Amino acid sequence: MEETGFSLQPFFVWMQESSFSQFMLDTTWSQPIVQVMHLVALSIFAGSVLIVDLRLLGVGVVKTPLAKVADEATPWMVWALVALLITGTPSLMSLAMKQYFSPFFWWKMQLLVLGLIFTFTIRRRLTQTDEAKLGPVWPKVAGMFSISVWCGVAIGARLIGLFS
Amino acid sequence: MLRALFETVEAFPSSVAIRESLNAYPILLTSHVIGMCAFAGLVMMMDFRLAGVGNRSTSITDVQGRLFPWQMVGMVISAVTGLLLLYGQPMRFYPNFYFWIKNVLMVLAAVNIWYFHTKTYQTVEEWNTDPTPPFAARLAGIVSIVLWAAIVIIGRMIAYPGLVPQWWLDLRLEG
Repeated sequence: MEETGFSLQPFFVWMQESSFSQFMLDTTWSQPIVQVMHLVALSIFAGSVLIVDLRLLGVGVVKTPLAKVADEATPWMVWALVALLITGTPSLMSLAMKQYFSPFFWWKMQLLVLGLIFTFTIRRRLTQTDEAKLGPVWPKVAGMFSISVWCGVAIGARLIGLFS
Repeated sequence: MLRALFETVEAFPSSVAIRESLNAYPILLTSHVIGMCAFAGLVMMMDFRLAGVGNRSTSITDVQGRLFPWQMVGMVISAVTGLLLLYGQPMRFYPNFYFWIKNVLMVLAAVNIWYFHTKTYQTVEEWNTDPTPPFAARLAGIVSIVLWAAIVIIGRMIAYPGLVPQWWLDLRLEG
């Protein structure tokens, strides 16, 4: 959207004009089905992220070692993320121009990229490190940061649909 | 009777205020989703443990007891914002098929919780640390996962009031 010389607009126009988008718009049930699956995947994703974030904050399932909690939550988080991407793509494609011109879409995508990078680098390293070495502060910072970023993603996402 | 109640609430000045506010609806709906993430998400983490498919290193009583306060945080946010959404637009929800289905499903989820806690959970000390709990506990977990996923799904479907069985539309509840 900014004046950078590089524009994603042709890509969004291509998505909007694709026959797949036309199919999504022409079939009554395709959009709601994709939406409800996106929301179920979101719930599982949120739960699997939150159980680890709470543990980082020093609450929740504190009797279980951090690395164990993270190891057991990660497959659910990853598969829920895959489901979110698969169900998010048709929504994005069929409403590509609405998304392109929505500031909340770009808000969501920037925070999403930030959240993914943070989760699979810093947060992953933290949860695999010996807790005694981490000290009391950094896990809490990471937990708060993770919760904040993912809440930001969800808020941006919800607002795309409400303002267009 | 029920209709009169919904219509009466809709006429309250505070209901009109929520309905006509530009910001109330986006704030309430967005908060409802955030509350749902915390509540449904953490309930399903507990259910995965009961079903024997997740969080298997943590004891059942730990998953249940230590996630409970945070599930309640999510539930309070969802419940308060949900009730305010309803309070602001009662006659939008009264004729909505999915609104009533969602309420029925929430009652069923409550029955499942009640049954689990009064019967199955009484013997938890015997299987607290078993990676795969006994059948009754696994069943309670699976039933809960199915019900809460259905509540999330049907809740989202409230936004599609026309995609419902014809007999429901024939009731002509819009008035």
